[in-house]
Amino acid sequence: MTTASPAATAGVAAASAINASKIYGKGDSEVRALDDVTVEFRAGQFTAIMGPSGSGKSTLMHCLAGLDSLTSGRAFIGDVDLSGLSERQLTHLRREQVGFVFQAFNLIPTLSARENIELPMDLGDTDPDSAWVDRVIDAVGLRDRLDHKPAELSGGQQQRVAVARALASKPKIIFADEPTGNLDSKSSSDVLGFMRRAVTEFGQTIVMVTHDPNAASYADRVIFLADGKVVDEISEPTAERVLDRMKRLA
Amino acid sequence: MASPVFRLTVRGVLARKFRVLLTAFAIILGVAFVSGAFMLTDSVKGAINGLFAELQGEVDLEVRSKIAFGDEATAQRDPVPDSLVAGIKSVPGVDTVEINILRQATIIKKNGKPLQTSGPSFGIAWYGTNGLDGRLVLEGREARAAGEVAIDKKSAERAGYVIGETVPIVGPNGSGEFTLVGLTGTKSTEGGGGASVSAFDPATANSFLGTNGLVDSLLIGLAEGVDQGDALAAVSAAISASPSGDAYEVITGDQSAKETAGAINDIIDIFGKVLLGFAAISLFVSAFLIFNTFAIIVSQRLRELALLRAIGADIRQIRMMILGESGIIGLLATALGIAGGVLVSKGITALFNATGAAFPSASTVISARTIAVSLFVGLGVTLVAAFVPAARAGRIPPVAAMRPEVGFSSLQRNKRLVLAGATLGIGVVLFVVGLFAQPGGTAGTLLGAAAGAILIFLGVASLSQSVAAPVSRIVSNLLPIPGRSMNRKTPGRIASRNAQRQPRRTASTASALMIGLALVSTIAVVAASVQASLRKALGTSITADFYVTNQGFQGLPSAFADKLAVLPELSAVSPFRATNAQVAGESKSIGAVDPSMGELVDADIQSGDFASIAEGAVLLHKDPARDLGVSVGDSIEMTWQNGKVSTLTVGAIYADSSIVGNWLVSLDTLTAASTAPPLDFFIGAKIAEGVDPDAARAAVERVAEEFPSAEVQDRVEFQKSQEDQLNQLLFIVYSLLVFAIAIAVLGIANTMALSVFERTREFGLLRAVGMTRRQLKRSVRWEAIIVSVFGATLGVVVGVPLGIAVSVALPETFVNTVQIPFGTIVTILVASIIVGIIAAIGPARRAAKLDILHAITTV
Repeated sequence: MTTASPAATAGVAAASAINASKIYGKGDSEVRALDDVTVEFRAGQFTAIMGPSGSGKSTLMHCLAGLDSLTSGRAFIGDVDLSGLSERQLTHLRREQVGFVFQAFNLIPTLSARENIELPMDLGDTDPDSAWVDRVIDAVGLRDRLDHKPAELSGGQQQRVAVARALASKPKIIFADEPTGNLDSKSSSDVLGFMRRAVTEFGQTIVMVTHDPNAASYADRVIFLADGKVVDEISEPTAERVLDRMKRLA
Repeated sequence: MASPVFRLTVRGVLARKFRVLLTAFAIILGVAFVSGAFMLTDSVKGAINGLFAELQGEVDLEVRSKIAFGDEATAQRDPVPDSLVAGIKSVPGVDTVEINILRQATIIKKNGKPLQTSGPSFGIAWYGTNGLDGRLVLEGREARAAGEVAIDKKSAERAGYVIGETVPIVGPNGSGEFTLVGLTGTKSTEGGGGASVSAFDPATANSFLGTNGLVDSLLIGLAEGVDQGDALAAVSAAISASPSGDAYEVITGDQSAKETAGAINDIIDIFGKVLLGFAAISLFVSAFLIFNTFAIIVSQRLRELALLRAIGADIRQIRMMILGESGIIGLLATALGIAGGVLVSKGITALFNATGAAFPSASTVISARTIAVSLFVGLGVTLVAAFVPAARAGRIPPVAAMRPEVGFSSLQRNKRLVLAGATLGIGVVLFVVGLFAQPGGTAGTLLGAAAGAILIFLGVASLSQSVAAPVSRIVSNLLPIPGRSMNRKTPGRIASRNAQRQPRRTASTASALMIGLALVSTIAVVAASVQASLRKALGTSITADFYVTNQGFQGLPSAFADKLAVLPELSAVSPFRATNAQVAGESKSIGAVDPSMGELVDADIQSGDFASIAEGAVLLHKDPARDLGVSVGDSIEMTWQNGKVSTLTVGAIYADSSIVGNWLVSLDTLTAASTAPPLDFFIGAKIAEGVDPDAARAAVERVAEEFPSAEVQDRVEFQKSQEDQLNQLLFIVYSLLVFAIAIAVLGIANTMALSVFERTREFGLLRAVGMTRRQLKRSVRWEAIIVSVFGATLGVVVGVPLGIAVSVALPETFVNTVQIPFGTIVTILVASIIVGIIAAIGPARRAAKLDILHAITTV
């Protein structure tokens, strides 16, 4: 069922896509959201995916995360080929090896912050590593708000809880989709700073889709997509360099 | 169930308390009626059985006539001659023998009107507190001589009599006046369990109640220490030695009490069944309500459920969560419903007691079965209704957490159409086969028709999605949406677009009303047909000038017809006397009439001659004649209740059974075969030629004065009273349906509220671009009206053909003409629009109250 990818044999890729294409619609209305993309995300790295609207960055992430399927090509989490997995296996893979942070509506409104953080483990009926969860909670700095419902938290706090939830189950990789898209700059830097620490201190792998050059500057590496293709890539980005590159793409 | 799923489930319910309550309400009602029906019947049966055990007192054995077929307790039994008493008394071990007489005797109140009871009015032979039965003297003493009576305390109180006063009482042969000497009751009740009881001394009973030595049965008390079985054998032996001894049987007192209580239990079960009918309709409609609510809740929580899927919840966990929520609602509603059932049961008992039933006071019996059945239906209906939404929730793709526009992967349109069409088709087939082929008798008919109707409703509800958009457009075009200026028209237009845009939502909101209306219009058509048939029957079948009927349950005093027959002002007088006989192994209701009945009704004779009845012929309706394959001149063997067999020639075959039923014999034929006490349903009479109608009426009324419980009516009055009776019956049916519609209103209110909530953002946007609160309210109201008209129209379109089918399938005795009550149906349609407006009041207000900023930032 699992096929070793070239990247996996190198032992450093947490996720990768090989010749990945995704086509929506048929005939005249055909949209090529991903066009033969080959890319890999190294373990322990914070990668940002950037690109204009419609460039395919969200599609790439959804397909890598096993939320959506490719039209052709292959997507891997570690050395597991997602295209070979059943719905059930995909669910278990997401539960155990993938963490998610969305732009908004990240938390179940009826559960407290702590319950939200522990939810993936609860769903899998595995005991949370409480020492680890404690560490994550301390790192996110919301210990005194753990019993609050999401509605009682600010937008930034909600996103930090979402990151904490993603971290708590020690996934192989975390996918974040515009995690600061709805936040003010102060809250944004809180959330991004926390994600940065997760990579630096805990060795977590994070892949983040973003529009914001400032957000991308927290990453180790930025890849740029346009019209469904990877068109550029920079390492050790700063906000200026990212902005500069984006202007050229546009 | 894993703990997080359970936790999510409970939190989900708690977060939607109001919605849960609204959804649960219909289930609560349904369960209340189910459990109330069981509690009522259990409690009343317990009390009645207790009462009969009490009344049985010291009776050890009972001697009565045998019957050949039918129910032991309700069959028309031949009497027993009291000449048997001496022979029984000489049997060793027998201590006491009493005669048992239980005949109709009505107490007349001080204002001259008969005392109405919720049960029968009895006159009995009574030996006092020391007699064998369990009846006690509560005040005064028992009647000891002619001209004395003791009556049950409750009836005495209701009629306003105290000891020492004179009480007029009407017996089978006429009225008499008696001095009230005592008040009776039993250990636990002061009433007669719904009946009024006039207790005479045995000799007076024998003459006044018209038995004259031919009593209903003989009651035997055994000496102390005598074995009941031995005594039974000895008494049986003694009786069979007497002339025509094999016509009698001996049973134990317990057996007799059990049979009587059983017959009354059957009557109580009918009340239970009416309540269960309410319950079934309420639960069926509420199933749709729950389905709608959960379907909407699931789509509202699309993102939440997708998020759960994204972070690792599997399909099964999502389904369990939704089903679990419905389960909690079902459990809560069941618990509240059972509490409501106690109220239903107590309320109905109080209602009956207020009308003088005097049910022996009994605490409400909540049996394990009541709880089990309530749980089964309450929880079961909720879970079944939530099953499809739960399955749909499981199909939400995880990617919807990030791209809400992805939505549901629902069944393809074609597949759904095929499925809905198949459901509808199977429903129609089941319905038609059930009604017309009638496999498995009445039970099979009801089951087939009910299952068919349910499938038809489901199929139409499902198909209605496909027509919701075009029909809503048509409806909105037809509706007089008011206003010349755009600012008044726009809300209506937006409402119309909304109804068309989401056909699924429109259809499911309308479905509850559709079912309510379908039921109402089905019944309306059947009711109108029954009414029209009755009117037609009364118009053409009746040729008599006077009709005498009895108020209450029992037949007319049998002497009435005889006394009318001798009046010179009348030319033809005949009672319609009801009895039973077996023909070809099946029990049939037989009418015994005077040959002059031929002048009093027009039975629409097809062949033969009505007059042949005078020569001992049997006349029958064409349907049984066809079934038996007989025609005029053939002979038919009839087994009477007492086992005697008569071979009768078919004298005529008729086509109109609306007044006289399917079988007719002459009174002479009946009395030759059976000596059972007569039961006269009505008496018809014709004015003799040349006699002034007023004079004739005065003569009849003079006779009637002796029998205040009888009612004399001319043809017009009779027709009116028959129609009134039918209307009373229909009132129960209509109230049942009003109830169904009330639940449907609840459904529309609930779905409208949910769909307003669902469109918070959209309404916020409309308000932001300049729609006033007033306009928004109008828009929501218009949408509700469009949806209501859609649902109501659909309901009528489904219900009317069902009603026609039922009317056609009903036996001709009830329905021989199909009528569609257009007036009623238009009223129903108009009412449904009003219903729509009422249902939208709350949701419209809520939509108008939305905070614009909050609404547009809601994701």
